[in-house]
Amino acid sequence: MRRHIQKKIYHVEVLPPKQDTEKLEADLERFANKYNRVLDNGYCACITDNAMGLLAFQGTELIEELSLPVKPEQVMIHLNTFHTKVELDIILNTCQSMGIQYLLAITGDGSDRLPKLQPADVGAEDVESVTSVELMRYIGREYSDVFTMGVAFNPYEPADHEFAKLDRKLDAGAEFIITQPIIEKNAVVDKLLADYPDIPVVLEAWMSKKLHLLSDAVGYEIPEDTAYDPMATLEMLHRTYPQCGMYLSLLGFKTQFDKITDTWVS
Amino acid sequence: MKIVVCIKQVPATNDAKIDPETKRIIREGLKAILNPFDTYALEEAIQLRDQFGGEVIALSMGPPKAEAVLREAISLGVDSAILLSDRAYGGSDTWATSYALSRAIDTIGGVDLVLCGKQAVDGDTAQVGPGIAAHLDWMQATYVMAVDEVQDAGMTVKRMHEDGYDVCEVPFPAVMTVVKGINTPRVPTLKGRLASLKIDIPVWKPADIGADVERLGLDGSPTRVVKTQPPPPRSSSTKRIEGSPEECANALLHELRLRSIV
Repeated sequence: MRRHIQKKIYHVEVLPPKQDTEKLEADLERFANKYNRVLDNGYCACITDNAMGLLAFQGTELIEELSLPVKPEQVMIHLNTFHTKVELDIILNTCQSMGIQYLLAITGDGSDRLPKLQPADVGAEDVESVTSVELMRYIGREYSDVFTMGVAFNPYEPADHEFAKLDRKLDAGAEFIITQPIIEKNAVVDKLLADYPDIPVVLEAWMSKKLHLLSDAVGYEIPEDTAYDPMATLEMLHRTYPQCGMYLSLLGFKTQFDKITDTWVS
Repeated sequence: MKIVVCIKQVPATNDAKIDPETKRIIREGLKAILNPFDTYALEEAIQLRDQFGGEVIALSMGPPKAEAVLREAISLGVDSAILLSDRAYGGSDTWATSYALSRAIDTIGGVDLVLCGKQAVDGDTAQVGPGIAAHLDWMQATYVMAVDEVQDAGMTVKRMHEDGYDVCEVPFPAVMTVVKGINTPRVPTLKGRLASLKIDIPVWKPADIGADVERLGLDGSPTRVVKTQPPPPRSSSTKRIEGSPEECANALLHELRLRSIV
């Protein structure tokens, strides 16, 4: 991951088509186009896993079914705890056989339709529920040295609690960190960078103009009419945190994608 | 084993509103989904087929757009699907519906097991499964929470009730309604979803199933809905507690004691 930062490789979130889409074939084509553009430009395509508990197709099955190329340094699969054990092993085995190196382990958001991994599934009978920590321990044990695993860090949660969680995640095998969206200089991120200098940190840059959608994430109400310039914020983040990588969420492929090439200039 | 799973397209009840004038569900703009309880029946059927061989057929009755839930069933792994759709079926109550479904099951032929969700979330009657069994004159087990054993002649199941469960032996052919928790329903795979787009789903009219149209639709339904009304709104209020953490904790404890919660 350190290499990604040195080589200025953006992490670009590519949302998979939702399960309930009524225009599946068009959505698949759109997904493939975005994925290929990310790889062709040398960036890393990051495929989410039922983000916000909304049922979507898995990254691995999309790559397989659409015969998309996999370049080990350029694909990251999000993996949460809302799977059956059988599904989890299929995803991990497919990642391994495809040569996918990067996994982002997250606890994730559930829904009525999503099963949840049970402690016994991942050999963690000492806990009541499976989080990213138990998930990573399982992957580390069953797929030793196969994957480079990252974890999420939320600077908007109470800091003591979040840093304690981070320590458990690092202990479980996390090798890089991706934050929640950062829209300005953030004291908790500053502390993270100061206290964990050896762990590569990737900041999530919010690339949608709709800043109010972040209200839940940041924990306070952002008015709907708040003006927000994603490109200017991305440049600010590069200037403020030159040691960090960038994870671009909700990037506009029509208007923003071609412009980001010149943004990382530090 | 030849298994038929009866499924239903229902409005997503989380979003449902009732017209204050007509007291009916406002269906315009309401998302239609596969009845959540039916996902457990589908999963159980697929697991039984995968373990013991055979085929699974999804069967639904409804307007043409109900085909969507049959395609969803295909994407989950059932082998084929049939839609009963015709004006003559419109307005059927649970008795007429179960009559039509039983005729379709009879037409399919050679069926060992019919699986249904315990009830549909729009009507909440839980009558269609037992109705099918009555029309076919087959054994039935309702509220099945576990399948313990499957033999050539039948199966041993656990039926859930309020105080525990019954262990029942059910000879084939049989009808079973299953409860949430009998399994963990799978979600469709992309491969399954793509396959579901290509499959032909036959539409059967009353003549195709040898149904007596006098026993279908509104005229064939002994039930009349006299009145429908929304449940009374839940009373809830929010009280904000201000102060230091200690003061807040004490105030919260006081409020909980007032309500005999602690």
